[in-house]
Amino acid sequence: MIVEDKVSRRSFLKLIGSAGVVGTGLVASGCSGDQAGGKGWMPSQYENKGNYAAKVKGRIAIDEDNPSIMRDDAKCILCGQCIEVCKNTMSVYGSYNLPIKKETPCVNCGQCVLWCPSGAITERTDIDKVEAALADSDKYVIVQTAPATKVALGEEFGMEPGEIVEGKQVAALKALGFNAVLDTCFSADLTIMEEAAEVLHRVVSGKEPLPQFTSCCPGWVKFCEYYYPEMFDHLSTCKSPQQMFGAVAKTYYAKKLGLEPGKIVSVAIMPCTAKKYEAARPEMNAAGREYGQDSVRDVDIVLTTRELAQLLKKNKLDLNGLTDERYDSILGESTGAGKIFGATGGVTEAAVRTLYYYVTKQTPPETLLEWQSVRGLDGVKEATINIPGAGTLQVAVCHGLKNARTIMKRLKSKDAPWQFIEFMACPGGCIGGGGQPRSAVPPTDEVRKARMKSLYQLDKAKSGKHASYENAEIQALYENDLGKPLGERAEKLLHTQYTDRSRLLSAKKE
Amino acid sequence: MAQDKGVLIDLTKCIGCGSCTVACKLWNKVEFNEKAPMVGTGAKLNDKNWTVVERREAVTRQGEPVYRYVKQQCMHCKDPACVSACFSRALQKDENGAVVYYPDLCVGCRYCMVACPFDVPKYEWEKALPLVAKCQMCATRLAKGASPACVDVCPTGAMTFGNSDELLQTAKSIVANDNKYIKHIYGAKEIGGTNWLYISDVNFVELGFKTDMEDVSPVTYTRGLLSAVPFLAVTWGVFLTAMALYSRRRRKLEGKKGDSDDEE
Repeated sequence: MIVEDKVSRRSFLKLIGSAGVVGTGLVASGCSGDQAGGKGWMPSQYENKGNYAAKVKGRIAIDEDNPSIMRDDAKCILCGQCIEVCKNTMSVYGSYNLPIKKETPCVNCGQCVLWCPSGAITERTDIDKVEAALADSDKYVIVQTAPATKVALGEEFGMEPGEIVEGKQVAALKALGFNAVLDTCFSADLTIMEEAAEVLHRVVSGKEPLPQFTSCCPGWVKFCEYYYPEMFDHLSTCKSPQQMFGAVAKTYYAKKLGLEPGKIVSVAIMPCTAKKYEAARPEMNAAGREYGQDSVRDVDIVLTTRELAQLLKKNKLDLNGLTDERYDSILGESTGAGKIFGATGGVTEAAVRTLYYYVTKQTPPETLLEWQSVRGLDGVKEATINIPGAGTLQVAVCHGLKNARTIMKRLKSKDAPWQFIEFMACPGGCIGGGGQPRSAVPPTDEVRKARMKSLYQLDKAKSGKHASYENAEIQALYENDLGKPLGERAEKLLHTQYTDRSRLLSAKKE
Repeated sequence: MAQDKGVLIDLTKCIGCGSCTVACKLWNKVEFNEKAPMVGTGAKLNDKNWTVVERREAVTRQGEPVYRYVKQQCMHCKDPACVSACFSRALQKDENGAVVYYPDLCVGCRYCMVACPFDVPKYEWEKALPLVAKCQMCATRLAKGASPACVDVCPTGAMTFGNSDELLQTAKSIVANDNKYIKHIYGAKEIGGTNWLYISDVNFVELGFKTDMEDVSPVTYTRGLLSAVPFLAVTWGVFLTAMALYSRRRRKLEGKKGDSDDEE
């Protein structure tokens, strides 16, 4: 019996041993199967090396520390549309020599976001910051809304492009729990008060050069800083409406309401991704500096129109079901001039209405209340207006940064009779901004036109007040706090300076 | 024998867009993972990132601080150490010069990871039966005469695909004719030469390249010994068998002698 056990264990082990040898032999001998990888796909534009007219490949570079945009690689299909818009409409991609220096040149305009068909490129989200602020009972959270958002937010809730949702947006923001809902159109009027005064000052004193460039578009400002720093003197020193609002909110508004500036969280709803970058610019802390707290930002958080829609949906708020509400005072009143800021040509029209008044002390004529020559989607628009007692004012308007280069070329070749030039980075102006509602196809002129039409309607609808100087809250602000346009206090809070960024890239010669 | 194919990477032309990293995942059907970025400061090769573009801070010869984006992937060496180290032939050099991995043959021993001087093969830590993974140089595309996916999508033309000898000549002439380049072609001589070559305007050390490599492949040190192993194994086996037979015979003979002693 014992002998049999020994034999069976041995033969068992022999069996296992030989099985092992055979197995190793099989593995080593090469039932190799397939190599790793290669079972996927490539978009057909890369596979068919035929005669496609458009040979776009790859995608734009997005710096990991870009404050405005980010990308989800899993959604990228390498279609190259981001390159197309950045190169052809914005003339940023491809406008600099390689190798790069310490930055990927980007003006944060967000057009790439609008053109990305799969939604891979999006704004860098700040919703969680707003939620944290709203949840903090220690903070007084105020919000400003840009005009372009009032004619586009509805699109995220199934409404037609251009549907005016100004009142509903206010109601929605109040429902979210903001302590005060205020209006960027108010500070747009403020910007006009300062900017029109600045044009007049340039014309009369001859100390600073003409033409004056608008400076409310942070994408354009950064573009100017990269490519045309020698033209800084032409840039208006005025901050944008968003930033003027920020400075006034934490000084004048805080004082009037008896609030501690440090407790205010200033949020902005913008059609724009570049505004996130603008709010973070180091010099945008005028209110903080006044209190000796340099780290306090004038504007704390910027949300795009899309982000606001997401936040509303997260809180189960449907814009369709809300009833109109009004903005809070004392930064809530606006004239038609402030409203039309969102359209290309709007800033010019608004500025000249008030400039006319500054020069003649009379209300602007009908032509200026519907100045067709600066309206519309033409890339470069020129117009003239006669201001009695002063002469002819010549203006130019452009949108899409490639058109800015056209204007600059004419300036350099002295083919530039204008005193005032409006520059907008985004096609159509802010209504076509990188933060606006979008679909899977690139933005259309139809949608831009619908949004612009509604802004001009808002201007008409406001019976009586079409020019910024008529804004009673603005008048109060100057009387009680700022003094006068371009005065010492205004300069301190509402004006800014620019940074030469031309060393951050090697711009191609034009 | 077919020509070795290779890729020349001009690091002055890379803008860090990451198109190459996306194309690699699309072509090889590898998952995306937000936590393991493919581009930027923290970009690292791993079992799912077969190529990455790492952002490095460097200083040019003129003393200017810059960012440079450095594409990393298997170097497809001319005399690969991993191929030599792999005893189950899971890594093989194909006729186009690509070093190709066959997961079915792999036993997961990780000798290739030890052998590779560039630390390229990466382990599949998350799996229960882990193997390794690395860039395959899109060997199936090369077999059809196409170029690797990463090269096809590069918007700035930082990568050029072709016969590796011709690319070396191209690299030499670029570096000779343009003063901004460092007078070194990475991969020309390192460890016996690699099929993926790099030229740069910034010192390779600052870009994270290993620059203390010899001009011969590590394989040369072990090739003699390793190729003797089968012969030695067989010979030793024969020798031991002979010894065993001899001992057995001796014991048997001694046993018989004892018997005959007993009988007397």
